[in-house]
Amino acid sequence: MPAIAVDGLTKSYGQTLALDDLSFRVEEGEVFGFLGPNGAGKSTTINVLLDFVRPTAGQVEVLGFDAQTRSREIRSRTGVLPEGYQTYERLTARQHLEFAMESKGVEDDPERLLERVDLVDALDKKAGGYSKGMAQRLMLAMALVGEPELLILDEPSTGLDPNGAREMREIVRQENERGATVFFSSHIMEQVEAVCDRVGILRDGEMVAVDSVEGLRDSVSEGTTLRVTVDRIDDEVLQAVRSLPDVSNAAVEDEQPPTLVVQVEGSKTAVLGELENRGVEVHDFSTAKASLDDVFRSYTTEVQAR
Amino acid sequence: MSSETGTGTGGSDRSAPGSSIHPESVRAVAKKDFQDSVRSWMFWGLSIFFFTLLVALTGVVSYFGEDLAAQDVTTEVLVVFVSEITRLVLPLIALILGWKAIAGERESGSIKILLSLPHSRKDVLLGKLIGRSAVLSLSLIVGFVLAAIIVAALLGSFDIVDYLGLLAMSILYGVAYTSIAVSLSSLTRSTTIAGAAMVGVFVLFYIVWNAITSALRLLMDRGTISGESYTVETNEGPVELERLPDWAFFIESIDPGYAYNNALSIVTGAAESDLDVQLEAVMFNGDIPFYLQDWFGFLILLFWIVVPIAVALYRFDQVDL
Repeated sequence: MPAIAVDGLTKSYGQTLALDDLSFRVEEGEVFGFLGPNGAGKSTTINVLLDFVRPTAGQVEVLGFDAQTRSREIRSRTGVLPEGYQTYERLTARQHLEFAMESKGVEDDPERLLERVDLVDALDKKAGGYSKGMAQRLMLAMALVGEPELLILDEPSTGLDPNGAREMREIVRQENERGATVFFSSHIMEQVEAVCDRVGILRDGEMVAVDSVEGLRDSVSEGTTLRVTVDRIDDEVLQAVRSLPDVSNAAVEDEQPPTLVVQVEGSKTAVLGELENRGVEVHDFSTAKASLDDVFRSYTTEVQAR
Repeated sequence: MSSETGTGTGGSDRSAPGSSIHPESVRAVAKKDFQDSVRSWMFWGLSIFFFTLLVALTGVVSYFGEDLAAQDVTTEVLVVFVSEITRLVLPLIALILGWKAIAGERESGSIKILLSLPHSRKDVLLGKLIGRSAVLSLSLIVGFVLAAIIVAALLGSFDIVDYLGLLAMSILYGVAYTSIAVSLSSLTRSTTIAGAAMVGVFVLFYIVWNAITSALRLLMDRGTISGESYTVETNEGPVELERLPDWAFFIESIDPGYAYNNALSIVTGAAESDLDVQLEAVMFNGDIPFYLQDWFGFLILLFWIVVPIAVALYRFDQVDL
């Protein structure tokens, strides 16, 4: 049974189509990164999972329960870090956590939870005085109450400094090791890259790619970027490099010193060999794997570029 | 409060998108709301206000009321005085306490915290109603209980039944307006619109409702609508008079404030003056219609508690947050 099964989900707000026939699955026990630029429909999807909004069409099941009719069962087994929330300013961190425990009918230790998110100093301080980062830590602690089967985290690193974001990823890893499925959305690649088993990329309400991090890297044509500094470049050399079978693209990046940027899918030595054959002297070269950021950009900007 | 008491856990109600009600959830939400919705000074402020109101009016009654004391009606007079003021003030307090109950949480997004936890939307609405009602009711109780000692000491005779009756009906009246406020608050995502709705309610029952009666009387005098005639025996013989038709009285009786006064006379003999009762008896030839009787006022108060929240329970389940 998948932890999340979305089939043909469509949601429109009047004339605006927020989600267009979206389908994907999140398997039990995996960390799934739900990626997309702002406004792609990530929060709308999460709002449907939690029954905050009702789908226009389509079927959504979470932990085997229908998201509309069995929402209470879903939410009693799920820890949620929502987006665009506000904490209760007159309640302390302890009271927030006690409320979550009471609501879920579970026992947990507020102090231990706050230690995990590094907020234990604010245990008895009212949330009205919290910074955005502190509020985010508190919400993460609330999501962890009662060891839920599924964690749904909507832009969890919002308001966190790099250190906080790293701690958050560490908690995601720990929870996953405990056995929880984690579904989290982000518009920042590196958040996802570091912890996710699989990544789904959403653009304009449609899933444009779902794969492992490695798989996504491989799927983009610019598998490896080769940057070569040479003594001279002419059109003839450029054409020769471009015509190599493994090269998808080659361009002159710089004239002083002459630098060639080549997108290679297979052997890099073929490129260097071809250059030598033509009497071009290679001064220096470097390779770089396509970062997930490049992948993300290629998926989310492709259409506009065309 | 609502007739629906679905248990939720076992039921697979795939056909009905409506949510169920869990008493445990309602309690958790109500408790949270009680802790969060009011600053403590507001609660004590309200308590002190009710306390002061009772003590001050008791002072007035006992100062001017030697005759009243002789007639043993001081508590009744106090109830009349207090209810004249609470009739106006309780709606204001309830509307102010309730207007942001749901709209405020939707606007700020904190409702996402509530509904990320396993509460249904119905739990949230009922919990909010109970939480806000508790603030008003408990401050009334605190004020009344603290004042009781002083009131009893100042008034020559202290009728505990009248006093508690006033407290009970005031709570009911306050809860009715809280229900109206919380329900209206759930219909919108904007606190501005919710606030306007609260003003609208106040204007409706304090200006429009009174204006309706005046307007009908005017229309009757001009002959546009026909009144009912009745005779009054006077010293110069019987006089033919005209009163508004029955339905006009019915409309008047729906006003929660009117119902509050009416229902007060169930528990105390005070709220309606004997003159009013006699007048009504004459107007209706001794056959006072049900909607002008005391128990009907009680029902109207219950109506104003149940109906708004029932509509809101249904509506709030349908919307996107």
